[in-house]
Amino acid sequence: MVSLLLFVYAMYISSHYIDTHGQKSNEQNKTLPLHDLIKNGSPFLGNVSAPITIIDFSDFQCYLCNRFVKNAEPLINQTYIQTGKVALVFGHLPNRGLDSMDAALAAQCTNDQGKFWQFHNLLYSNQKPIDSGWVSIENLKNFASQISGLDIKQFNTCFDNEKYKSFVQKDIDLALSFGFRETPSFIVENSNGSNPEMLSGALPFESFKAVIDKKISAG
Amino acid sequence: MPSMTEKKETSIPSSSSSKGQSPLILSFKIVFSKLVYIMFAALTAVAFSIISSIFDQLLFFYPIIIFYLPDDAVLGFILANVIAILLGIVVSMNIYVLRHSKIKIWSTSLLSGSSLSVLSSICVSCSSLGFFLASTLGIVGVNIERFKKEISEHVYVLAINKSLKNGIKSGVEGTPTFFLNGVRYEDSWELETLFETIRSAIKKENKN
Repeated sequence: MVSLLLFVYAMYISSHYIDTHGQKSNEQNKTLPLHDLIKNGSPFLGNVSAPITIIDFSDFQCYLCNRFVKNAEPLINQTYIQTGKVALVFGHLPNRGLDSMDAALAAQCTNDQGKFWQFHNLLYSNQKPIDSGWVSIENLKNFASQISGLDIKQFNTCFDNEKYKSFVQKDIDLALSFGFRETPSFIVENSNGSNPEMLSGALPFESFKAVIDKKISAG
Repeated sequence: MPSMTEKKETSIPSSSSSKGQSPLILSFKIVFSKLVYIMFAALTAVAFSIISSIFDQLLFFYPIIIFYLPDDAVLGFILANVIAILLGIVVSMNIYVLRHSKIKIWSTSLLSGSSLSVLSSICVSCSSLGFFLASTLGIVGVNIERFKKEISEHVYVLAINKSLKNGIKSGVEGTPTFFLNGVRYEDSWELETLFETIRSAIKKENKN
C-alpha cells in the first residue's frame, strides 16, 4: 500500500518535472510568429496582419474540440477574426485515436487547395465516436469528394503518399514541447510570437475574450 | 370508579406509521429526519456536482472563473447531477450505518463492508465519466439493496428504542403498563377493576 502510494507520488513528481522542464526550454528558445506558421504551411483563418494569434491544437476525433468548434469558435470568428484582430491557426495534435492521424493528413492535404476550413467543418459536423470507422481512409476520401471545387485526384495523390506525415509530426512535437497532452489546447499570443499564454480545454468564448481583450489593450 | 389521568394524554408510540412502509422508505425517513444528514447529503451532492462539472469541462477557473453549458453537455450534466444527489444520499446513509452499526469495520479491515461502499462511492467520481456513470449507478443500486437488508433489522431496534423513549416520556415506570384509548391506565391490575374501566370506556365511546 505504502509502496504503491510512493510509486504514484514518484510518477506525479516526474511528470510534473518533465512538464515544467519542457515549458521552460520552450519559453527560452521558441517563439511562434504568425508569419512563420503561415510560411510553414499551417492552415489559418483571418488577416495575416492581425495583431493577435490563436494557435488551436486539435484532433478531429476529439469531442471537446468539436464543442469548441460549435460554441466558442463561431463567436471568436465573428467578434475578432472577421474584424481583423485575431488570426486562428490550426495545429495538429492527433492523439485521441488510431484514425486521428489519417484525418489530420487528409485535412492538411485539403489545405493545399485552400479548402482546409471547409473540410475541417465537414469533419466536425459529422463527428462520430473515436475509431468507430467514421474517419477511415475510405470515408476521408468520401468527405473530400463532398467539397466543391476540390481536385479529388490531387487530394488522393497527396493523401495516399502521406505527404504531410512529417509536417503533422512536427505539429505534435511542438504541442508536446508546450506540455500539451489534451485537446483542444491553445496558445494565445501576439502575432510576432511574444507574450504567449497557454489555455487548455474547450473553454467558452468569454474565457478567450478575457485573454484577447487583455492582449489588445496591452498593445 | 377507576381513576383515569385525563391530563396526561399521551399517545402510545405507534408503530402504525411504520407499518406498510418498505424498509427503504423507513430507513430513508430515519436517516433524513436529522438535519445533519440532510446537510451532509446536500454538501456531498454539491461537491460531486462541482467535481463532475470540472471533469466535464463545464466549469473553468482559468483564465476567468466561468461555468457554461453547451448543447452537447446538457444530458451529461443532468445525469451527473442526478448521480451527485444519489451519491449524497448513499454516502450519508452509509455514514449513518457506520456510526450506528456495532460492527467495528475500521478495526477489522479497511476494505470491508460499508466502509468499502463509502470509499467506492467517493472514489468513483475521480475517474472518467463513462466509468463514473456506470459504476455509480451500480453502486447506488447495490448500496440501496444492502442498506435495505442491513437496516431492516436495525430499523426495528430503532423503533423499539423510540417506543421505549416515548414510554419513559409518558410516565411508564414498569411493565405491564396499559394504555386505554391513548390514556394511561393507573388503577389496580385486578381483573375486575380492569374490566370495569374498559366497560366504562366502551360506554363513553358509544355516547360519542
